[in-house]
Order: sequence, then C-alpha cells, then structure tokens
Amino acid sequence: MIGNLPSDPHPWSERREAGLANTTMRQTLGLVTRRFSVGKRRVFAEDPEQEAARRLGVEAKRQAIANLDSLLDQFASKVRSNGGTALMAGTAHEAVEAVRSIAATHQVKVVVKSKSMLTEEIQLNRGLEAAGLTVLETDLGEYIIQRAHETPSHILAPAAHKNRQQIRELFEDDAKTAGLAPPVSDAASTLTQYARERLRREFLQADMGVTGGNFGVAETGTVVLVTNEGNADLVTTLPRVLVTVMGVEKLVARWEDLTLLIQQPAMNGIGQRLSAYTTLISGPAASVAEGPAAWYVVLVDNGRQRLRHTVYEDVLSCIRCGACLNVCPVFRQVGGHAYGSVYSGPIGVVETPLLTNFGVGAELPSVACTMCHACKEACPMEIDLPGHIIRLRQEKVRRHLNAASLTASYHWWSRIWATPRGYRWSLRWARRLQGLYQRQGRLVRAPGIARGWFQTRDMPPVAQETFIEWWQRHRGGLDRERRS
Amino acid sequence: MATVRLFVTCLVDVFRPEVGRAAVTVLERHGDRVECPVEQTCCGQFAFNAGYRQEAALLAKHFVEVFEGDTTPIVALSGSCAAMVVHHYPELLREAVIEERGSVKEAEGWAARAMAVGREVVEFSQWLGQGSPDSALGTVGRQRLALHQGCHMRRILEETRQPKELLEQQGFEVVELEDSDQCCGFGGTYSMTEWRVSTALADAKLKAFQDAQAGGAAYLVSSDLGCLLHLAGRLRRLGAQDPTRHVAEVLAGEEDRP
Repeated sequence: MIGNLPSDPHPWSERREAGLANTTMRQTLGLVTRRFSVGKRRVFAEDPEQEAARRLGVEAKRQAIANLDSLLDQFASKVRSNGGTALMAGTAHEAVEAVRSIAATHQVKVVVKSKSMLTEEIQLNRGLEAAGLTVLETDLGEYIIQRAHETPSHILAPAAHKNRQQIRELFEDDAKTAGLAPPVSDAASTLTQYARERLRREFLQADMGVTGGNFGVAETGTVVLVTNEGNADLVTTLPRVLVTVMGVEKLVARWEDLTLLIQQPAMNGIGQRLSAYTTLISGPAASVAEGPAAWYVVLVDNGRQRLRHTVYEDVLSCIRCGACLNVCPVFRQVGGHAYGSVYSGPIGVVETPLLTNFGVGAELPSVACTMCHACKEACPMEIDLPGHIIRLRQEKVRRHLNAASLTASYHWWSRIWATPRGYRWSLRWARRLQGLYQRQGRLVRAPGIARGWFQTRDMPPVAQETFIEWWQRHRGGLDRERRS
Repeated sequence: MATVRLFVTCLVDVFRPEVGRAAVTVLERHGDRVECPVEQTCCGQFAFNAGYRQEAALLAKHFVEVFEGDTTPIVALSGSCAAMVVHHYPELLREAVIEERGSVKEAEGWAARAMAVGREVVEFSQWLGQGSPDSALGTVGRQRLALHQGCHMRRILEETRQPKELLEQQGFEVVELEDSDQCCGFGGTYSMTEWRVSTALADAKLKAFQDAQAGGAAYLVSSDLGCLLHLAGRLRRLGAQDPTRHVAEVLAGEEDRP
C-alpha cells in the first residue's frame, strides 16, 4: 500500500530560500549537529564493544525485516496475551481513525504525548484536535514547536532550529494563556523548569497517553521507548488509557536483539552512552500491576511493507537516530523544514519519495544531496543512503520526472563525448563561442545547464590547447614508438 | 622504471591543462615512463551522479574500450574520477546493459571488463605514495598548504593518508581545514542545477580556508580539480585571487603561477 505523508505546499525553491535566509537556524543547527557528531566519535572510542554490538544489531534488524510477517503475528499475539490490544493500520488515515475511535470509546478529552516521529508522519495531532480533543506534546522540543505551530526540524532534536531567546519568547506567550509566571531568563535550566511545571498540570488531567515506539520485541510483546526527559514515563503511567503508535518496521525478534540495539540511537544520534530514560511497556495495569487501565498498540504500515523485497529494503532498518542528518552538508545549510515533509536529511531524501511512490518529495533526491557519502559513513544501520539517492535519481529519469531540457542536455552531452571525435568537435565549438561569455579572460556566463554555475562563480575558459592536444603535439611520438 | 598511463580527466584536459603537464613532470621525475591514451574523453561521472544511467554507461564503455587489454597502471588525476571507475563502473555497466539489452551474459561481460580496468586505476598521489618514503621528486616544499580532501577520495576510495603524507615528505607543511570532512558543495552538475545550496557550501569551505590563510596557509590544495574549480570560481567572482592548486602543480614546483 502506498503511504501518505504530510506535504508542505511551498515548492522546494521557497523552502530552500527560507532555510538559507534563517541565519539563526543555520548557526544553531551547525552547532548542534557538530556537537552530536563529535560526541558520537568520542563515545564509540570509549566503548569499543558497542561497535561489535552495532554490527550484530544490523544483522538482527535485517533478519527482522526479512521475517516481518511472522514477527508481526507473534508480536500482536503477545501484546494480546499481555492484556493489550494490537491493531494494524495500513495507511496514515487508518491509523488516525484507530486512535480516534479508541479515544471515543474511552471518552477521552485530554491527550498527552511523548515524542514520536510516526505521529508526525500520520498527522495524529491534527486528527485528534479535529475530533475535539486537546493534545499536548510533553517532550521539551516537541512542546516548543507545538507552541510555535511548527513541525520538527530534526528527527531527534525537533526544536534544534530554535535558540534559547526564541524559546523564551514562546514560553512568555504561553505563560499568559496558562496563567503562570513566565520564565525569568533564557537559561536552559530556567526554560526547562518552566516547561516542567507547565506540563505537570497537564499530566495529571490527561485521560490518554500517546507514545511512539523505538523497538518492539516480538517474543515478549514489549514496546521500548528511549527518551532523555522522563516524560515518556509519565505518559505511560498517569493517564488511564495508553496508545502506542509505531511503525511495523520497529520489530525485532528477540530480547537479545534489543540489547544489541538499545544503545545505538543515543550513541549514534547524540553521542551519549544510553538515553537517560528507557521505558518498557509490557501491558496494562491488570497484568503488570501498574500503569494504564487499557493499552493499545497501533502498528502502522503507511508505505513501509512495499519496500520489502526491493533494493530499498534496508531503509526499513532505520532506527531514527539522526546521525545522517548530523553529518549532511545540505541539511546543515537548509535545515529540516526545507525537506517539506516529516523526515529530513538523507533518510528523508530517500524515505519521503519511497513511502509515497514519489507522491511527496519527488524533488528531494535531485536537490538535497551533493553525493558526498558522509551519510553512508555515519549510518549505524549501514543503509546505502547515497546508493539509494542515485537509484531514485535513476528512477526519476525512467519516470520522466526531470525537466525535458535537462534530460536533453545529458542525452547529447554523453553521446557527443562518447567518441573522441565528438569530444574534440564540442571543444572546437566551445572555443569559437565562448568569446560571447567572457570578461577579463574568464567565463562569466553560459547558456543551458551550465547557467546555474555562473550565477555565483566564474570559470576558466576552454583552454586554447587542451592537455591531450599538447600531448599529441609534444609527446605523440612516444605512444606510436611503443605501439610499433 | 614503471610505465604508467595517464587518466587525464575531462576537467584537467579542458580547463586546466597545466595540471596535466605538471603531472607528467612529476611522474617523470619519479622515474615513470608516461603514456597518454589520446582517445580518452570523460569517465561519465557527471551523468551517473545525476541518475542518467544509460548516458553514463555510454561514456563508461568508451573509457573501458580505451584502457582495457593492458595491465599498465592507470594514474588518475582525480580521486573522484578514480572512484567512479573503480567502484561504480561494474555495477553501472551491469545494470545499464541489462536495462537496455536484457542480456545478463552481455551485462556480466561488460562488468568483468570494467573490473579488469578498475584494478589498474590508482589516484595520482596514491601512485606516488606507494614508493619508498624518500623517493626523490625533486620538490623543495617550503610553504604551508591547506588540504581539501575530496569526499569521494575520502569515502569511496577510502584514502585518508594521501596526498597528505606525500606532500609532507616533500617538505610541505599540511594543515587541515576546520570541518574538513564537510563537502565543498561541488557535486558535479549539482553545482549547476542546485547552485544556491552549492554556493552556500562553497562559502562555508572558503571561510575555513580564510582561517587557514590567516594561519599562514599559502594555497588550497586538492587531488580533485572539480572541487577546486568550484572554489576558485567562487573566489574569482568575489574579486579575489585564485589560491587553488592541484597536488600535481605543487609537487612540480609550479604553484607560483600567476
């Protein structure tokens, strides 16, 4: 089934310009992503055993995806025997409907959420609010962007594009509506303290908690959340109803597989040995003595299973650590919102068009990658991100998704250069015509595909004598001598 | 005395032929006998990276036909183009031939021919670095150089020692740029089609070079001319001098050109 992802109505050119013009965001993202990348290198150097665990973890994830059908059955039946309810949702729409109907059944009014990219993907908040529910994000970063009516700019650090001053201003506005004292400074501890007090009230009023899921263990029916703020512990224990919304690809077969992978999101994403909180959801209060009265797990496909048994299957191993974003040069320049959907950086470039069959983000493979391969080096799950980006570019050519003029340029350029005669002919013509485009001995303009280059850069003109022409004039005899 | 075949690359051939001449000088001082198959054109990376597989395959087939049937080392004047031939050609030709002709046998034939050619390809500084550390290139390096290691040399060829060691052996002092592992934004035709992002990345790289210059770096040196043309073109447009030099130029002692 083809997935459905949110889509920013602004075209790439506008999103890109908004990103490039936002110097605060670029500075903040630059600092954050560098700090994460340095931290990652340090933490792996300190704990070399984790490299071995990572490798085995990759195998475990690949195996899980290969056996996904049976793991889904096993997981669902374990959840049920633990006293929970497991539901399958084929599309984003079905997933939202499932959560809405759970909320209706339990007469829910207020929903608190812990951080989940999947609920962003299916636009759950919008769906629940449309049904008259109040939805509150409790992860600090998500809380900040919910106040700003924005979407996450980074998979792991949703408010990475905001600095402390901007956050303080948002909280000051929030304090007025909530009738609370505003934060007294923009110190990180003061801002955090404000959010903590503000959210404590909501936790106690909430009827339903919604979480994502970092891992689902098929043999035990356990959902595992890794967070850094402890908010997930409150979301999973205080409200009377708990709903876990997770992608079908989050399953691993065994508890042992989980132990290999549990440190990987934090180690690779933020350079920390383990996230501060690891929350295990094993069932409702009736079966595990504490927690919510009812627990539901909604397993969402939304275009994922289509990728199985294709060259793109390894994409389903993604643990959403964000390491590829942190090293991506384009991401650092334009920020997460420029990608126009939920997932940004290299994984977003690959997943957005794949999950939606090019319905959303078809431009991304062409515009958001310099082919530097830094993401491949960074990905702990060894996903062939640059290879996939090339494949998606090839797919665009096959589907005629590029401008006809661009395709014509490659068509003729390669055909002419595929013979030495054509190559030399093209250079002779370039020498004849380039006078029109020169200033002070430099090329400053050019027509066609090369036009973009000259918007910001010069170029030396085509040499009056190429290297090979020089060689033939001076050294041509050497080759002939050897061949005779 | 080894014989080598020069893989000039289209960018050197067309836009900076002096790099090719410098490479010949250095290789001959190194004691190599240099040949240059004059039928070579372009490796096709520009089309491959843009997703134009059939177009890239046309150029790849031509490259293979020019260079096959001979086990003389092929010395490439670009890390990125070397990576293209060594690491992308076999799969490119296999897939393109299957797509176009539907024949697995023919596809495997082309892949095997590409692999045979790829085995002989070595990047220029890698070739020179293979010899004994004190191999005399006759270079008297005095300056401090800022090195830009191209992404494909670093991550596809997985070459991180060269050209740094080679330059240091010849007396140069080599400094790394801040954020040296970040792409300069060239990316082949990405620099044309997505020039805004490409230029933002160039400016970040040039900012790092400015800091290196303040620390005494005289030139910005790389094994990859694509990156250098992009960065030099940006500086020229901003009204500055061109401080970029290919490794072959500094080793030849020809870095002081105007």
